[in-house]
Amino acid sequence: MFSRELTVGDLQRLDRIATAAVDALQMDEDTFRAFYDRTARQVWAYLARITGDRSLADDLLQESYYRFLRAERAFTSESHRRNYLFRIATNLAHDRRRRGRGIVNVPVPAENEPGALADGRDVAAETEQRTDLARAMATLKPREREMLWLAYAQGSSHEEIAESLGLRKSSIKILLFRARRRLAAALGPRS
Amino acid sequence: MKRPRSFGAEDKTMREKTLVECARESDVLDALASARWPNRVERDLADHVASCAICQDVVTVATAIQADHDEAWREANVPSSGQMWWRAEMRARQDAIREASRPVAVAQGVAALFALVVAAVAGWFAWPSVRSLFSALLPTADGSTVASAAFASPALLPLAIAMGALLIVAPLAIYVVLSEK
Repeated sequence: MFSRELTVGDLQRLDRIATAAVDALQMDEDTFRAFYDRTARQVWAYLARITGDRSLADDLLQESYYRFLRAERAFTSESHRRNYLFRIATNLAHDRRRRGRGIVNVPVPAENEPGALADGRDVAAETEQRTDLARAMATLKPREREMLWLAYAQGSSHEEIAESLGLRKSSIKILLFRARRRLAAALGPRS
Repeated sequence: MKRPRSFGAEDKTMREKTLVECARESDVLDALASARWPNRVERDLADHVASCAICQDVVTVATAIQADHDEAWREANVPSSGQMWWRAEMRARQDAIREASRPVAVAQGVAALFALVVAAVAGWFAWPSVRSLFSALLPTADGSTVASAAFASPALLPLAIAMGALLIVAPLAIYVVLSEK
């Protein structure tokens, strides 16, 4: 409609606001970059596997770190900080699922040609195993997928899982047991 | 008659409570993490796993998930930390400016709405005068028209000038309100 012309005073005021917003971020650049380098791949792998969508994992990764940086919280340890990041990622994945995106599909592995790699890995066997796992994971509830991934891919303790998923620590043992039993049954004896 | 006590559901829960974990689960996970499973694992651990349903599930699930984790780790193509920081910084700036600008936009909207309401009320009260002006400008039965009728009546002349001025000034006034230098 009508464009609003800005005065130098307006620009200075906005610049002060923007600078204050950057100063208010959770970490300074160096600390953030070190933390990101330690955790980004783990978070991406987690998001890719619980959503079953790589491009969605890319989006959610960025959003997770941004929200983490803007969180007004004090962290007592590296573990606390990391668990909080996973909690943000988990909540974002839940939000997307509720909005209809990020329905778990069986991901098609990129390397699907039979044969062996130079390091001796059998690509066909690995691909088959991954596809089996993806299919089996898709039969689980989102919360079960998240829990199993944190426990067996990340090696998280029950306490860390509870913190990352916003659950009570006392309930993790039984929930993890049930999820593990369901996944083992879905994978069958071949795996 | 006293109903017989049902043990089915309770028993199931009790069994589940006692059998949800095994004391050797962490040994199994250690063996998997250090790649000792299945070929270089201690004999007693292998024997235990063969007879323990929980540890068998742990082996099945952990083996598959760890292999998938390794694959996901290889395929992860994440932006560099520098890029991520830069994007976050830019976005924090934009969000802060947007949040700061929101009250101004709301105030502009309210001002525009208020101006429209005032114009409508003014129009409502001015309508009888406007109608009489237009009827005076229309040709009369005796052929005397327009200017003669308007300028002949001294009361209508200021009103005609005011209406003309309003038509020119109103768009300018709206522009000034909304464009806030």
